[in-house]
Amino acid sequence: MADYAAPLTPRVRRRRAEATGAVAFLRRLDWIMLAAVAGLVSFGLWVVDGITRLDVPGDPEYYVTRQSVFALVGTVGMIGVLFVDPDYYRRYRKVVYGLMIALLLVVMALGTDARGSTRWIELGFFRFQPSEFGKLLLALFLAGLLAGRARRINELRTTLVAVGAAALPTVLVFMQPDIGTALSYGAILGACLFFAGTPWRHLAILAALAALVGATVLWFAPSLGVDILAPYQRDRLAAFMNPSENPQGAAYNINQSMTAVGAGGTAGRGVAGATQTNLDYLPEHHTDFVFASLAEQRGFVGAAILLSLYLLLIWRGIRVIATARDPFCATVAGAIVFALLFQVFVNVGMTIGIAPITGIPLPFVSVGGSSMVTNLLAVGMLQAIAVRRR
Amino acid sequence: MASISRIRPPRTRFMPRDPRVESPYRMTPQIALRLGVLGALVLFAFAVLFFRLWALQVLSGERYLAAAQNNQLRTIRVEAPRGPIYDDRGRTIVGNKLANVVRVWPASLSRRTRPRVFAKLSGVLQIPVAELQRTFREQHRADPLKPVTLAEGVSNDVVSYLKERIREFPGLTIERTYLRSYPSGPIAAQLLGHVGSVTPEQVKSRRYRNGDHVGQSGIEAAYDRYLRGRAGLASLRVDSLGRPRGRPRYSDYFQQGLALRLTLDAKLQRAAERALEYGIQVAHNGDPPQWAANGGAVVALDPRDGSVRALASNPTFDPRVYLGRPKQNDLKPLLDPEAAKAANYPGLNRAIAGLYPPGSTFKPVTALAAMRERLASAYATLPCVGSMEIDGTKFNNWNPYANEAMTLPHAIAASCDTYFYQLGLAFYRLPAQFGSPLQKWASAFGFGKMSGLDVGGEESGLLPTPQWRRKNFPNEIDKLWKSGDSVQLAIGQKDLLVTPLQMARFYALVANGGKLVTPHLVSSVEQPGSRGAAKPVFASPPRPVNVQPDELRAVREGLYEATHASYGTSSGVFGSFPIKIAGKTGTAEKYVEVGSFAGMMDQSWWCGYGPTDSAKLVVCVVIENGGHGGTAAAPAALKVFESYFGKKAYTQQYVPSD
Repeated sequence: MADYAAPLTPRVRRRRAEATGAVAFLRRLDWIMLAAVAGLVSFGLWVVDGITRLDVPGDPEYYVTRQSVFALVGTVGMIGVLFVDPDYYRRYRKVVYGLMIALLLVVMALGTDARGSTRWIELGFFRFQPSEFGKLLLALFLAGLLAGRARRINELRTTLVAVGAAALPTVLVFMQPDIGTALSYGAILGACLFFAGTPWRHLAILAALAALVGATVLWFAPSLGVDILAPYQRDRLAAFMNPSENPQGAAYNINQSMTAVGAGGTAGRGVAGATQTNLDYLPEHHTDFVFASLAEQRGFVGAAILLSLYLLLIWRGIRVIATARDPFCATVAGAIVFALLFQVFVNVGMTIGIAPITGIPLPFVSVGGSSMVTNLLAVGMLQAIAVRRR
Repeated sequence: MASISRIRPPRTRFMPRDPRVESPYRMTPQIALRLGVLGALVLFAFAVLFFRLWALQVLSGERYLAAAQNNQLRTIRVEAPRGPIYDDRGRTIVGNKLANVVRVWPASLSRRTRPRVFAKLSGVLQIPVAELQRTFREQHRADPLKPVTLAEGVSNDVVSYLKERIREFPGLTIERTYLRSYPSGPIAAQLLGHVGSVTPEQVKSRRYRNGDHVGQSGIEAAYDRYLRGRAGLASLRVDSLGRPRGRPRYSDYFQQGLALRLTLDAKLQRAAERALEYGIQVAHNGDPPQWAANGGAVVALDPRDGSVRALASNPTFDPRVYLGRPKQNDLKPLLDPEAAKAANYPGLNRAIAGLYPPGSTFKPVTALAAMRERLASAYATLPCVGSMEIDGTKFNNWNPYANEAMTLPHAIAASCDTYFYQLGLAFYRLPAQFGSPLQKWASAFGFGKMSGLDVGGEESGLLPTPQWRRKNFPNEIDKLWKSGDSVQLAIGQKDLLVTPLQMARFYALVANGGKLVTPHLVSSVEQPGSRGAAKPVFASPPRPVNVQPDELRAVREGLYEATHASYGTSSGVFGSFPIKIAGKTGTAEKYVEVGSFAGMMDQSWWCGYGPTDSAKLVVCVVIENGGHGGTAAAPAALKVFESYFGKKAYTQQYVPSD
């Protein structure tokens, strides 16, 4: 930094500053994280190509083409997000919140039904899933809310306001019904509170409350004759607890998924040999159960590569939290990183029988435009925080 | 990191400073702790995932691989084509033909798209939507994993239409199957029976599996064991919805059912069915016209061994109505009681299950029994008069002007009622310790019980006895067996009910010299297509009944005179036929309901055999409500003989007769 040795003309200084600014900007980007994401997206596309080869008769490249387009759109969005100072989100958090609620209400009014739930808005070329996009908006809003009340973070009121604000979109999503995304919203709320510095006491109370609500939904309410979950949702949970009970019924998915994963072995069965995927034994093998198909086709090696890439991404994400410029950025980064971890763990876990089946997509791999774009935007957000780090 | 934080960050337009952030944010110990917690969580979560994957894929991969391979192979039963049915000369009466089946996989037809798809299919297949829905529901409930058969025997045009637009019909598959075909035309419908899907009761009997096609009536049912063949086992690669991917690989090839060779003569059968229609037509055009003639039956037996050469019943139906997915409207007369009544029960095989009083055709039975019991002598005469009064009741002869002494052959030929009234009375007056000899002999001749026809579905008829009266009537007077009962039984009237088959069996006994045959339809079971490799089906051999040749000769003489003597009741019909036929007319009164009419009506009978001395064929014809025996039944029987012997009668004239 020899610049300080000799004074320069303002013009030269400005030009230099700009130059160093752009260079510094690029240098401060987290390239390792970007490499991990690029690896995930390209590995995901390669895997999806093999998995969906037979899904659309006559067009083996249908899904992979669409998915590539979404990846491209997401990348453009990610670059766009880089240039926005995250603080804008904090300042306009009410707009963010309003946008999220409005989108969810629009889905409720105009949404398209698919397999018994209303999650999408038909947009011609693709179906937009606002609840996916809402994950990011919720993280931004909650982080802004908690950052604004940083001095009163120890008050119970602050925690309650945050929980209340998060409850509305969560309930809207739950009513679609989309338990998986609703759970993600809960995870994001938890992460925001956690990284904004909410006292352990409050967190413990919330955890206890969550456990109580879960128990009510699962056991107490049904035993009183009130069904909050749809029968299929309850069956899935029951099947998770005891998969050998009803192999043709609700446990079918878990059994077929575990069979697919196990059959993959070390090196995988390849695209042509993956009968579980090709003969449709594996339900939703391009979306929710994409990991099982991946494990079947690419084996332990492929699955391990994918998990390692996630680990790398999350590890770099933790670094971003640590070096964030301010509590708001740290909270946003924390929420994004935790949401990623949550989605990866629950999605992969459900395919191998250690988590209940919920419709949570696998980030960067599951076929789905909204999820792909949202996750890339989230990475953009992490990068935007990283370049503005201390 | 330290070096970066020491140097003031360069200002760029990308990073405007937030005025509210007064002091640079430092990581607090609290955040550090929480980051540590997150880091630990991440490590823990990934460790769990890795270990679980390792356990699944590397440690127990083999086991799951085997499970995945078992998943896709499904063992299916492949139904065998049924064996064909040949007539006695090897002409195919019932064969098989390849047909298209339209099936739908319930799993790929969601509840919401079903109405739309069915509406479209209904137009293409010409089946009402309601029927499609009902079929679907029934079969889906029975076995939710199997495809539902919506239509069988679909034409190739429809199939190619569907194949072109298969995307509009999710879950639809078109397969081939075998359906019954009838190359000899729609003959012997009631006798051959039909093939249908197995019923729940049959599944319970454990001989059949759900979805099998099984003979449900007639020969198809009686010989189902042979005809059905053995289903094959094949493994089929299927996807998760059970839709086949690829061709079945047989582990056990199906075996076609065995062929049945019948004693039936397809040509004679056709002639018999036409003869029935002719007989009904003749009755309609008779003098007086028998407007109510509406049905009948023909039995043609070989008297030497009891093989059935033709067995016709009218009204009849086209056996093809049962093919494929039957149309309910076509089946209504066969299944629905109301519609069946309106169509005069076309599903009833009158030849073996139609019950009629036999009238005068029963007189040879009385004659033989009376001679055996020494109540009559063949050539001693008895008066034949216009009417007789017995126990205060007046019994009329059919010919009120008759007044002469008759021998037994003469009485049979002229069908003199009063002659046989006297025999009946003689039976009645026998002391109680003799029992009921007329019924005993009638029973020995096969009346009142089933003949043992191998197809089944027979009625046993009713042979009235004093015991039967006592048992079945509530009223004290009705319980008594009275003289009128014996008198009427002697001429085959009142309570006696017989089937045409029983009657034919008795005339076979007369024709073959006193042996009771067991009628049968199947002569052998053979490999389809290969003549010779036959496994004969042994029918019980003719059983001699204790009748004396001279007594039998007297009856045969009477029967011959009946068709040739001037006083014979069907001489006008058979007199000029080049082959000598012997036989007896019958006119039996039966209570019937035809349309709005209810009352006694004449059932027209003719039973006989030819050639007289070495009979090759016994024919028994009944025309319901056809009037006198000589009017309708005898001309119909002549048609059967004409077809059998390939000769025509020169002239025919109507003779008033009984």
